[in-house]
Amino acid sequence: MVQGITEPLGSIYAPLMQVYGGQILAGISPGHGGQQLEGIPVFDLVEQALLSVGVVDTSVIFVPPYQVLDAALEAIAAGIRQLVLVTEGVPPMDMMHLCRVAEASETLVVGPNCPGIIVPGQILLGTHPAEFYTPGTVGLVSRCGTLTYEVARELSQAGFGQSIALGIGSDRIIGSTFQQWLQILDEDEQTEAIVLVGKIGSDSEEVAARYIIEAIDKPVVAYIAGRTLPQSQYTGHAGAVVSSQIAGLGDEIGTAESKIAALKQAKVPIAERPSQLPDLLKQVLKSSTKTSAKS
Amino acid sequence: MDLLEYQAKQLFHEMGIPVLPSQQINHPQDLKGLKIPYPVVLKSQVYTGGRGKAGGIRFVENTIDAVAAAQTIFNLPITGMYPAVLLAEAKYDADRELYLAVILDWSARRPLLLGSQRGGVDVEATIGAMQQVVVDQEFSPFYARRLALKMGLQGELIRSVSAILEKMYQLFLQKDLDLVEINPLAVSSAGELMALDGKITANDDALGRHSDLATLQEKIPHQIKTKMLPRDLADTTLVELEGNIGILCNGAGLTMTTLDLVYKAGGRPASFLNLGSEYRHNNSPEVLRERIQRGLELMMQSKNLKVVLVNTLGNVMLCRQTAEAIATHLQHQAGSRVVPFVVRLVGDQFDEARQMLRTLNLPLFHNLDEAIAEAISLSK
Repeated sequence: MVQGITEPLGSIYAPLMQVYGGQILAGISPGHGGQQLEGIPVFDLVEQALLSVGVVDTSVIFVPPYQVLDAALEAIAAGIRQLVLVTEGVPPMDMMHLCRVAEASETLVVGPNCPGIIVPGQILLGTHPAEFYTPGTVGLVSRCGTLTYEVARELSQAGFGQSIALGIGSDRIIGSTFQQWLQILDEDEQTEAIVLVGKIGSDSEEVAARYIIEAIDKPVVAYIAGRTLPQSQYTGHAGAVVSSQIAGLGDEIGTAESKIAALKQAKVPIAERPSQLPDLLKQVLKSSTKTSAKS
Repeated sequence: MDLLEYQAKQLFHEMGIPVLPSQQINHPQDLKGLKIPYPVVLKSQVYTGGRGKAGGIRFVENTIDAVAAAQTIFNLPITGMYPAVLLAEAKYDADRELYLAVILDWSARRPLLLGSQRGGVDVEATIGAMQQVVVDQEFSPFYARRLALKMGLQGELIRSVSAILEKMYQLFLQKDLDLVEINPLAVSSAGELMALDGKITANDDALGRHSDLATLQEKIPHQIKTKMLPRDLADTTLVELEGNIGILCNGAGLTMTTLDLVYKAGGRPASFLNLGSEYRHNNSPEVLRERIQRGLELMMQSKNLKVVLVNTLGNVMLCRQTAEAIATHLQHQAGSRVVPFVVRLVGDQFDEARQMLRTLNLPLFHNLDEAIAEAISLSK
């Protein structure tokens, strides 16, 4: 299902998702019920759509930022348990509310401010440019948008197709974390190795590194953007603001040094540039085959 | 967006948090009509810590002293910023000074209450004394009492301090704030509480639904405004650096990566502009093209600029808009100083964009490492 299907982003991406092979059963746009967009029936209300089309697994949400919370709550109330929030600029207070409801209802929320999920060759739930992705065995999880496309492109060109690729969102408060997705990829049978793409700011990569030590068995390699940026600079959106102004707490967390140190401790090889990721993957896959051959 | 102290105190007052009688001073002569009895404290309204140490806070006993002190403070830059407003406030005798704050804990995705019995100017030095309580479910006043007890408060202070925290939390929620801080919260010898200084950070993403806060922004000195993040065309922000390569990218992660690669290969960026991710709800081809053009104009103002590196990646409208914007830019530039472009456009519309740029004889790249090598060789 696509909520906000007649919105600027929704009307561009819903047809692309449809073409890629995902089955878009319904679009939601209050006031546009009864219409069709590229063959997708449009409804005014989520529950109304479900009565007509049956079970929906996932809703991809493109509504304006201040309507995202409401759209997500509407989907959860109707029983949908996987949400992808593409829209940028959702207020953190709304996300806090949504995260509480999502946890209580065991709903998986991806985003906001993210390109969503792609299972190459099968399904697109978001905005990933299909031409950069190929089916394969590398799980790609990223905190960036366009940089995720760049990395996927490098991997595909080097012959490393992807099992699942996703951007978890660039905002400060996001629905599902690196840890959740590392766990999903660790359990996923298609996935042999994991590529983690992070950037400076927030403590996401540090927490992920700790989780890798505790719980992840598959090989992980990483790339961190922003290593040469001075700490005080930002590049244009909230997710990248490097300063943690909060009461002078936690200034050290979020620097490239802190992330790299944490990942090194988790024995995660870190690429100097996106084009180096395929080489690192070759190395870790070779050594993990050796290890499993021994055991 | 950070509010100034007097703006924060106005919100405290509306919420019923006790603040001292005060008056906003826009000009030293305003002190002649001061309604607060002396002695009075004059405080520079700039958003930065350490105002006291920098000389931005002065005690005055009479009008003559006050006018002179105000003149001095208006002309005193604090970390490069001059105040547009001073706050004149009654003096208060504090017996003890506490620290209280409500913030968003980004990774726990929950609000956090912070408190310490060692408030005042050196709170950063006593971070170890800071107590915290996570508000993991719907807020209820017991969370505030939990913090008061953790802070080691006793007797009547448990109730009175948690009542203040409760109001801070309401403000935090109602106004979509990232931070509400009172430091210090003075406790008088009679046990009375008073917010002597306050800090409020409003969430930029939520400003659109709080017009009262958005209006306050107009009153904040200009230097602070540049910290605002670009949300629409008017805010296109170019970050200037020392080198000679201009960089134009879409998306924060890609922009950082491009800068990293340029630095590592021995190049020096002159400036960079992030055109933003493509998840903005109201992105339109026109807005995008306009933003690219504006960015290029700003970039060209640097005298050191030797080459522009464009690295954009996307699939819907970006490549075409980038190509069109560059073409328009070059047409306008014909005759004046010509800065070479190195362009990397990757996306579905690449072929069309390439056709357009080929007629302009621009080098086009698919591979990022190669594009960077070319930009650096042109910058030498």
